[in-house]
Amino acid sequence: MKKTISIILTLVLCLSVLTACSGGRAKSTADVHVFYYTYSDTYISSVRSALDRELTDAGISFQDYDGGGSQTTQTEQIQTAITKGAKMIIVNIVNTGSDDAANGIVNLAKGADIPVLFFNREVSDSVISSYDKCAFVGTRAEEAGILQGQMIGEYIMENFEKIDLNGDGKISYILFKGEEGNNEAIYRTQYSVEEANKILEEAGKPPLYFYDESNPNKYLVDKNGQWSAAAANEYMVTALTSYSEERGNMIELVICNNDGMAEGAISALGSAGYNTGGDSKMIPVFGVDATDAAKNLIKNGKMSGTIKQDATEMAELIEELCENVIIDKKPMLEDTEGYNIDPNVNKVRISYSKYLG
Amino acid sequence: MEIIKRLRNMDRSEKKVYIRELLLNNSLYIFLIAAVIIIQILNPAFLSGRSIVNIISLSAANLPIALGIAGAIILTGTDLSAGRIVGAVACVSASLLQTSGYPNKMFPGLDTLPIPAVILIALGIGALVGLINGFCTAHFNLHPFIVTLSTQLIVYGGLLMFLMTGNNNGQSISGLAPEYTDFIKGSILSLGGTPIPNYVWYSIGITALMWFIWNKTAFGKNMFAVGSNPEAANVSGVNVKRIIILVFTLAGVMYGVTGFIEAARISSNSAATGMNYELDAIAACVIGGVSFVGGIGKIRGVIMGVVLLRLIFVGLTFLSIDSNMQYIIKGLIILIACAIDMRKYLVRK
Repeated sequence: MKKTISIILTLVLCLSVLTACSGGRAKSTADVHVFYYTYSDTYISSVRSALDRELTDAGISFQDYDGGGSQTTQTEQIQTAITKGAKMIIVNIVNTGSDDAANGIVNLAKGADIPVLFFNREVSDSVISSYDKCAFVGTRAEEAGILQGQMIGEYIMENFEKIDLNGDGKISYILFKGEEGNNEAIYRTQYSVEEANKILEEAGKPPLYFYDESNPNKYLVDKNGQWSAAAANEYMVTALTSYSEERGNMIELVICNNDGMAEGAISALGSAGYNTGGDSKMIPVFGVDATDAAKNLIKNGKMSGTIKQDATEMAELIEELCENVIIDKKPMLEDTEGYNIDPNVNKVRISYSKYLG
Repeated sequence: MEIIKRLRNMDRSEKKVYIRELLLNNSLYIFLIAAVIIIQILNPAFLSGRSIVNIISLSAANLPIALGIAGAIILTGTDLSAGRIVGAVACVSASLLQTSGYPNKMFPGLDTLPIPAVILIALGIGALVGLINGFCTAHFNLHPFIVTLSTQLIVYGGLLMFLMTGNNNGQSISGLAPEYTDFIKGSILSLGGTPIPNYVWYSIGITALMWFIWNKTAFGKNMFAVGSNPEAANVSGVNVKRIIILVFTLAGVMYGVTGFIEAARISSNSAATGMNYELDAIAACVIGGVSFVGGIGKIRGVIMGVVLLRLIFVGLTFLSIDSNMQYIIKGLIILIACAIDMRKYLVRK
């Protein structure tokens, strides 16, 4: 009995390995190796499927890796891929807080004399400049927050009376931060409020104030650093128990670092009878990413706006750079004059845009 | 009353020891009450009807997974796959219950399935993984830590693959059918004007069922017997392997319930859903006196543990205390709870 089961298990294992190998793109020597910081990130997943498509269409062999949110895992994967004979590595780095991890990766690539392209999660200028075959594709971290803030400011000015539920002439807000120590999260948290306040100030309105005055941080953060809907949901549900229209202290604006958190907050508002679409009362909720789910919420009148970071545009640009290296055997950044490149460093910028439906 | 009667029959030194023991053994309850009083004084909104409903519903959402994992702990095991199973079930349930016509529907050709069918699928997935956990533990004599460490990875890999299928491309799954969200988040009863979400009732029902299984069935009694001494249980005619398999399968069903509720409660389901839920559930169990020495644990303890953890979350949010403190407080409570627990166990021995 036990023997049969062990044999069956072994067979299953062999089979699954075989099917995984015959999956097509995992050829024994792929040219391009792409390292994602985690497969569980929604936006990164849309970049991945777009890039997979682009690379397949271009006939470039590639292999994807899941860093699982751990820099150790990712660095080990990169090491292995380079020993395996990678011709180019594309890295969505896990740790953005310090340069050490990025420097380590650049040194690995330098040792094998292959180009390395970072994308989405930014590395510092000095890292990029330390190696001539190194570049970065991504957005400006501040830009999402700035655009989100402008969008919020404009939205408030258009709908001030409707948003100001208690009629005190000021707007209270709640803000959900995705994780501590991440530049994107820090900038989004800072600029969304600052930029909105600039617009309010110009119009002679008082600045936004955080709904809970005893919280010195002026934000609530996902303690697991997952930018998760569940974290925002639980904070929101809890906040709504002591802040309501009857008490005259209802939260009048919800700012989220990403759309996932916005979804969680909207779910909580829905349970309290807000943002259920149609004629229901609406607390404006803003996110970033323009995921499909968020676009639908906006369409159905349950969410106010989001910031779009174009996954397809990112994937197309990365594919072009791969084509330069692998097919045309040219330097990575050739023929990219049309793009927005930083003046002194090889950083190609993709711009964000406002999405209001 | 009984305590007072007993105290009357003791002399002074005995009394002292008795009271000290009593205080020490119930220190968590005392801490709980003290914490509630202090938070209430600092922020009077804490014990408003709405806030109480919030604490109850947050606890209710976390209760089934804790009840499931408690069984594994009673067998001196653990279950690391719980959170990932919750995530997988949540994503599958959500994908099968998206509004038909939703633009990003994962399976556009598929109509919204009837809710009972999806419940069966959800419980089935949980039960299947649980069965595998139990089977490998029982038949290969492996520690559940190892088994569930493996199945947790397998389930996560499967989930990532699942999220890339259909129309989904790894996006979070939302756009759930209103019947589904109403079934979970809707309310048929209000407390002081605050609607109580339906899943609270499901959770209470499941808790009652688990209490019955643990205390009133032969399976429940055998579970404790196997947990405290598998050899003795075996000698006295208990089919130990069968019990182990059943306990893990039952646990899997509980994760299925949690996942099914979680999907609608949060309304946005991704690969991160359910991550680390098992750690909170295990913490709740050990705080509530479900002991890793095996064969010890009560349903009311699990409930206490779950509620205590939620109280800390809500309380600290109410007091606007830096969330870093939450880790420290949680850690200390687990440590103290287990130390007291071990003391009780040694005394009994």
